[in-house]
Amino acid sequence: MMSYLEEHYELIHKTPRLFALHVTREQLLDTLHQITTHTSFDTLSQLTCTDWIEEERFELGYMLTNALRSHNLMLKCSIARDKVTMPSLALLFAQAEVMERELHEMFGIGFEGNETLYDFALEGWCDIPPMRREFDTLAYVNAHYDFREGREDNLDVKEEIKKRKAAAKSAKETPSGA
Amino acid sequence: MERKVITIYHGPQHPGITGNMSVELDLMGETITRARTHVGYLHRGFEKLIERRTIIQAFTIVCRICVPEPDPNEANFALAVERLAGIEVSERASYIRVMVLEMARLGAQLLWMAGQSGSVGLGTVGQWSIYDRDLILDLFEQLTGGRVYHMYIYPGGVRRELPDGFLERLSALLDYLQKRLDAYDRLFFDNASFQKRAIGVGVVRGEEVLRRGFSGQVLRGCGFARDLRRDNPYLLYDQLEFDIPTQSAGDVYARALVRRAEMRESIRILRQVIAQMPEEGAIMQKLPKHRKFTLPKEDTYVAVESARGEFGYYMAGDGSEMIRRMQVKGPSLIHAFSLLEPLLVGEELSNVALIMNSLGICPPEIER
Amino acid sequence: MKFELKNSLAPLSALSKIFEHPQTLCYPEVKSETVSGYRGFHINDLSTCIGCANCQDVCMNEAIDMIAIDKDKNPKNNSGCIPRIDYGRCCWCSLCTDVCPPDSLKLESECIWADDDANRFLYQPKDKPC
Ligand code: SF4
Ligand code: SF4
Repeated sequence: MMSYLEEHYELIHKTPRLFALHVTREQLLDTLHQITTHTSFDTLSQLTCTDWIEEERFELGYMLTNALRSHNLMLKCSIARDKVTMPSLALLFAQAEVMERELHEMFGIGFEGNETLYDFALEGWCDIPPMRREFDTLAYVNAHYDFREGREDNLDVKEEIKKRKAAAKSAKETPSGA
Repeated sequence: MERKVITIYHGPQHPGITGNMSVELDLMGETITRARTHVGYLHRGFEKLIERRTIIQAFTIVCRICVPEPDPNEANFALAVERLAGIEVSERASYIRVMVLEMARLGAQLLWMAGQSGSVGLGTVGQWSIYDRDLILDLFEQLTGGRVYHMYIYPGGVRRELPDGFLERLSALLDYLQKRLDAYDRLFFDNASFQKRAIGVGVVRGEEVLRRGFSGQVLRGCGFARDLRRDNPYLLYDQLEFDIPTQSAGDVYARALVRRAEMRESIRILRQVIAQMPEEGAIMQKLPKHRKFTLPKEDTYVAVESARGEFGYYMAGDGSEMIRRMQVKGPSLIHAFSLLEPLLVGEELSNVALIMNSLGICPPEIER
Repeated sequence: MKFELKNSLAPLSALSKIFEHPQTLCYPEVKSETVSGYRGFHINDLSTCIGCANCQDVCMNEAIDMIAIDKDKNPKNNSGCIPRIDYGRCCWCSLCTDVCPPDSLKLESECIWADDDANRFLYQPKDKPC
């Protein structure tokens, strides 16, 4: 099983049971097809997405598992953050449908061929997709929720230490000056 | 007579639904002709919150991803951080983790039993099993300081030393539970009314099940002995002896029987842990730069077997104090959509709760 | 599978519980035992708290306010501030007690507080040595 992968791809050994390999968007379907037919990695167990905003790319991770559930192989595919469509895997793996639906909602990635890209967990969301790094959670929370009343007496400890030091200093100086 | 299709929402406020989710059902008479799962009543944005917390702050969130069994999440989080940072955990801490995980599994199975028996109207079983689960929670309270959310398995080890006499109390509880399991056999698993409702309902079978990414009792109930504790061992599971119970029928009853046997296996594992746990040893490997602890720019994937199936965490660090991305996959994501929707078609309305409980569907891990 | 009569009768064994003492507690007359080490309400030993705000920094729920102390109890408290906790936000993770340098902040087993106004849940940790 491993020999086929070693021969044909640049395999990254992450742990003895976890491997990774990089594919481009165009190679993805073909590579998946090759791997599922020639090796025992034939189950999609997770579809991940990481936003590398500073490098202007999303990194999708197609986590494959073998039938014995003993090894994992991750196909990593970087795509641009603005041109965000991928071919859907719904025909290859039934479970991909809902995973793609989630990523569509959370990152705004389109999956061509997936018919179910409607609301997943968010209802009527028209802001930018929330898992993108540019979505500012803190600003959103401050705009939509209040702090409990009665917490205005919170003090900045660094300021207080400075004030106390200054007060102690002037207290020392006053008696000596008098 | 003209037959009309009506659409109803089963949940989110329905005692038979497993958590805050709903299933939209098209009904022809009592028979379901189409099912659609809807989630979103529980979205808390944990994955987003974690992106703006340091690693020790993020640690307090992950247990909240699963209410009945929070510990696999803590274990996953800790394992992923340790793998990325290259931290070794002491043997004693690993034993304690296994113990916590198995206690949680036992508790989760008892809670499942309450739900499953409730869905066929056997209320007494639920009253008993919740009481027995509470005894496990009592032990958790002594060990971790919390009953439901333990926040105990920490990157680098576990947070507290065992209290005095803890293992003896655990051992006594296991003796008690062992006896109780026989009572549950009489009251629930061998109960003719449960058998009548459960046999032949919600059948999942065929070679396809492996490829479709199912896990847990769904696989074991149709003859595939898959269990990550054995197949892709983590912690010390490769040094412990246990069996992976399977059934072949693939229906609700088969999955119930698998769980029945698993409770006995958990007790067996716990007894080994009690016997083998090293008396001495550090429980905590101090994290370098504790509060300003950073992860390298790398990613990893870890998975553990929870009481309901595979929990997988993808974690990517970016060299800063925050985690760049942590993505959780619980068993329910697949089970509630690509399994449940087709499975319900052709079933009776009264079997929806039964099937959902049996698949162990739980929305908090779907939407996090 | 054959349905046996035994399987219909065995569940009736539960009836024997009628003659047993109930296992539930009669709250509030009988209370469950408190466990030492339970993560309940906060206590803060003001004679050792140094007002460093470590607890405030680590709390990701932003539950902790540092407020001015009425009367100095610890000469080493450089800021004259002590923590107060918003119990509408706290999740009792006890990270704040983990990072407290003099270990003055702790959690006690006491954990019951009922009120009809949620805005009153601003908790001043009891001044107790531990
Ligand atoms: S309670 Fe502890 S951490 Fe908080 S300000 Fe006082 S000394 Fe510092
Ligand atoms: S227990 Fe946790 S949430 Fe509560 S105040 Fe302390 S750090 Fe904050």
